[in-house]
Amino acid sequence: MNLGLDYVVIRSHALISNLLTIQQINDLADSKNVEEFLEQLSKTPYGRIEINDAGTVAITLEKVFYEKFVERVLKIIDLTPQKIGDFLKSYYYLRFETLNLKRIIRGKFSGQKPDEIFYTLIPINPYLIPNYEKLVNSVDIDEILEHLKDTTYSDVNKQKKLFNQYNAIWPIELALNHIYAKTIFRNVQNLPERDRRIIYKIVEYETDIENFLFAVKQSQEEKIDLNLEEVFPATYNLSIEKLREVIESENLKKVIESLDEHYSKVLSLIYSGDVALIRTGLRHYKCKIVSNALAVNEFGFNAIMAYLIYSEIEKDNLVGIGWGKAQGISSEDLMKYMVECKKYS
Amino acid sequence: MSGVRPTKGYLMEMKRRIGFIEKGCEFLKLKRDHLAKELSASIDILKGRRGLLLKNLKEAYDALTAAYISLGPIEVESQARSVQSALQLEILPLSVMGVRYPYVKIVSKPKITSELDITLSNASKKIYEILEELIQLAEFEARAERIADELGKTNRKVNALENTVIPSYNQIIKFIESKLDEESLEELVRMKRIGGERASRRE
Repeated sequence: MNLGLDYVVIRSHALISNLLTIQQINDLADSKNVEEFLEQLSKTPYGRIEINDAGTVAITLEKVFYEKFVERVLKIIDLTPQKIGDFLKSYYYLRFETLNLKRIIRGKFSGQKPDEIFYTLIPINPYLIPNYEKLVNSVDIDEILEHLKDTTYSDVNKQKKLFNQYNAIWPIELALNHIYAKTIFRNVQNLPERDRRIIYKIVEYETDIENFLFAVKQSQEEKIDLNLEEVFPATYNLSIEKLREVIESENLKKVIESLDEHYSKVLSLIYSGDVALIRTGLRHYKCKIVSNALAVNEFGFNAIMAYLIYSEIEKDNLVGIGWGKAQGISSEDLMKYMVECKKYS
Repeated sequence: MSGVRPTKGYLMEMKRRIGFIEKGCEFLKLKRDHLAKELSASIDILKGRRGLLLKNLKEAYDALTAAYISLGPIEVESQARSVQSALQLEILPLSVMGVRYPYVKIVSKPKITSELDITLSNASKKIYEILEELIQLAEFEARAERIADELGKTNRKVNALENTVIPSYNQIIKFIESKLDEESLEELVRMKRIGGERASRRE
């Protein structure tokens, strides 16, 4: 049902105003327990969520928030003109499908049963693979890689050597990240020039930050001779040399200070010893990118992206609060990981 | 004093029993003192270790919270499952003064592989660092709990013996002895009377 870009943009603005306000997020984080959290949530557009098994409350909530987010993405895709719709589908579906493939591979690697693997998957229809059943029911990882041969993900087979060499699945996971970034950049070409910039900024920044985090992790682990070109197939503003410095340097601060301000500002959060704050910083940055783009042009692709990014951040915030409340974590401890988008204030 | 036979044989049996009970009571007192010593040593160790461990445990839990909020619970569980070698423990019984407590032997530790995200990897490293200490503390807590339990039982037994059983036996012995004394006095009077009667008949 394509109603033209103008309609989707206006609709996106309306949907942005329906997202949870920062006050509502604060109220949810302030809930004393899960029951109060669910009660607060029932007063929002999420409505009442029934939890049947108290033992898996955080997982049930995460699934509900994912379903809601996927539903929002689908609604927008359904309304947007084909080129934008196709791109958005690839942007989100590819991301979720990549995550699902990682979970299937991990599950197979650790000998999980097919139904246990299915339970961990994000509820989306297959996008670039024919179906999930074949993959989930494969005997081993070799069979999964075999099934992926005729798909967009065929390049993961190139990592088979590293997978066998280290008996580890991280080379496959990195290859999937690379395929995701590469495919997004290919698909973004279908968008008008002015709309591409926002996507480039987001994907490049995301990839660079994840590369940095992987490099920090490598620096803390037993030194193995890694071919960094293979490990980091996609790098943007953080070059392979910089990542090598991160792995080999004894002084991480020096490396971070040598980076651009919008990188060093977020990456310097690592000094607190809490690496997760970098991901919070990354989400803040994504929020800032779309908010700034929206300030420049309120009536265009920016509005759609802003709605989807805000919506995704809302999902991440709610998943975090839901888990925190199930664990009885105080709102102060939770709020430092929450992202308050400017549109909220 | 129903059921008490005021006979010399019964008195001897009672004296034999009370001797045995008193010896048992002495042993129980020794056991109680030893258990009290063990318990106070365990508590001292627990106090020190707990303080240290709580700080490390808080740090590990904060790191785990960060990982869960950063990745989401499903992703954390999915990644955690990719750690193939799990923690394997063997629980063996040990005993101090007849009190059995578990001894935990670490058969194999989990190997933190590079499969984990950096947030989860940090959390798992922190937990890994305190794992051995955590298990030892659990072992000490179980030991202290069981010793305290046994100490309470032993104390109750000693009190019961000292305040109820031994006094009641002493009372019985006293009763039998007084009965026997009474009987022997009666016997003496009777004998004297008979002797007097015989003497008067002879006259």
